[in-house]
Amino acid sequence: MSLVKHTLAILALLGLVASAGAETIGPGGEEATPSSTVVVGDEKVAMVQAKRYSAALLWHDQSDFVNAVTAGASDEFERLGIEVVAVTSAGFDAAKQRSDIETALAKNPDIILSLPLDPVTSAAAFEEAKEAGVALTFLSNLPAGYEHPKDYAAIVTDDLFQMGKQAADALAEAMGGEGTVGWIFHDAAYYVTNQRDNAFKTTIENDHPNISIVAEQGIADPARAEEIANAMLLKHPDLGGIYVTWAGPAEGVLAALRANGNDSTKIVTLDLSEPIALDMVRGGNVAAIVADEAYELGRAMAASAVLDLVGEEVPPFVVAPAITVKAANVVEGWKRSLNIDPPASLTSN
Amino acid sequence: MAALSWIKRLDLQRSVIYFGFLAIFLFFAATLHDDGFLTTRNLTNIVLQTAPATIMAIGLVFALSAGEIDLSFGSIVAVSALAAAVAMQNGPMVFGVIAGLGAGVLIGAFNGVLVAYLRLPSFLVTLATLGLFAGIARSMTDLRSIPVINDTFTGFFGSGKLLGVPSLVIWTVAAVAAGHVLYRHSRFGAHVLAVGDNARAAQVSGIKVPRIRLMVLTLCGATAGLAGLLYAGRLQAAKYTLGESDLMTVIAAVIVGGTALNGGKGSIIGALLGSLMMGMLNNGLILMGLKVSDQMIVRGVIILVAVAVSLRDTRR
Repeated sequence: MSLVKHTLAILALLGLVASAGAETIGPGGEEATPSSTVVVGDEKVAMVQAKRYSAALLWHDQSDFVNAVTAGASDEFERLGIEVVAVTSAGFDAAKQRSDIETALAKNPDIILSLPLDPVTSAAAFEEAKEAGVALTFLSNLPAGYEHPKDYAAIVTDDLFQMGKQAADALAEAMGGEGTVGWIFHDAAYYVTNQRDNAFKTTIENDHPNISIVAEQGIADPARAEEIANAMLLKHPDLGGIYVTWAGPAEGVLAALRANGNDSTKIVTLDLSEPIALDMVRGGNVAAIVADEAYELGRAMAASAVLDLVGEEVPPFVVAPAITVKAANVVEGWKRSLNIDPPASLTSN
Repeated sequence: MAALSWIKRLDLQRSVIYFGFLAIFLFFAATLHDDGFLTTRNLTNIVLQTAPATIMAIGLVFALSAGEIDLSFGSIVAVSALAAAVAMQNGPMVFGVIAGLGAGVLIGAFNGVLVAYLRLPSFLVTLATLGLFAGIARSMTDLRSIPVINDTFTGFFGSGKLLGVPSLVIWTVAAVAAGHVLYRHSRFGAHVLAVGDNARAAQVSGIKVPRIRLMVLTLCGATAGLAGLLYAGRLQAAKYTLGESDLMTVIAAVIVGGTALNGGKGSIIGALLGSLMMGMLNNGLILMGLKVSDQMIVRGVIILVAVAVSLRDTRR
């Protein structure tokens, strides 16, 4: 029964977060601690290096984002003399994630960094690693029933509220502080997108009195973004701006605006994407993209796990800052978020 | 000279899986002996991780041997696992088993009726039902994962042991033994091969061809249903994504194991080794510490070589 209770408790909390949220809150209601405060100081480096720890990075999928998190974690591990003994990708398959954990445990890692695919299926999957006393640091999600600090070192995630807030502020600035907005939110019970979407809405409603949200539409399938935007523009042809929950569907919204010959409605969205950024640097509809600091997420995950291993207190819920990327700072923003140079198309325009 | 003539007599296609399996095992044993590959725990893990795929592969050997194919088993796995999990929320384990296996058998029979009696090609029927039941799996619980909290069920189908042997190992051995006997030593198995070899000749010799087609696709559904129960037991939860990524693994395991794509020839033991080989590749490449993209490339190349050798000889 405890698994069901915990799952329901987490879902209930997510509901609270989604409705109330003035700042990013952990899946168990934990207060957020900035990632910049989670640091393995230089004075501890030699001591940690002498322990010759090893780590496994067991990801949910492969993407630019995961690559940047991996780079951040790997660089931190290298500084601390920790060998990365396994890197896996579950391709969003819960059974594969469980197999990956079992396989990695054959190498007896001291640390596992991972994004649990969902609270329910991950609870049993991480059980063996938990029992083996591995320092578990989770990205964005928590297996049901796991307690801090007994079962895991920390959850590290984006400053989700700030991402939504910064998107609202950037759109308001691009619209000159007045006008009407369409809000395209992620229509699913997903902790990360729900917090970001609601933070945008809350910020517009509270901080920008001359801007009103006149159209709201949920989206579950990114492929439907273009038709959703078309319907929204048909009803509200004079929309000053549209918020899109992440970059994938934003590409569909951009296509709809172009097809309508609309060059006045501004778009803001979250997470870096080359086609969206290209429109932005060419002075198109996209006003700004708000991104997370994926490299910093990886560094903070590694640092949390190491601090836990050496017996220091680690905050349960750690958040990395958000960056507002505009045409003027696209090179710097890309580098800070993903730790790679932006695609050539963005710098040659 | 004697050795040479022995090699000449060797059926390359039947043997490739044994040599391939042994070569990959020896390679990992030699290169990863310090990395835990040869530990009992790791080798047991490989069998546990491949148990659902092995059981699905048994069903697919029957379907391919009869000249049919089932592409829908990934969706059947998800529907069965979810049906079992939902049934056990308000009822005993037996409800879950009946719901899970029943869903598999019914969907398999649905495929079978369309193929056998409406004479639609199994490739297209099961491609369509793959999408159809993937959609149904998504809508069954509105994309939510359902926890399985029945300890008897999770022990029986997932993490339990009998006399120190993990239940998933027992399921694998039992299913392979039953499948092998049915395939090699029963009238049904002989009829399946006859239909796959030449359906018209089989019909003329009195075999009820549509019935065999219905039965092999129902069997495929049943094995996928059992695989769904094993996933639900192992993860102590069911989710609509279960089985989604198994299609290519299971087909590759079966083909590498010596089953012909165009019917009339197959091997249950080969499918078991094919499935274990896939699991061993996943396991060994992770333990080697390769990057994820490199793991995918190496695995793809090895499967390509193994399938090429298997199929090249089949066509002769």
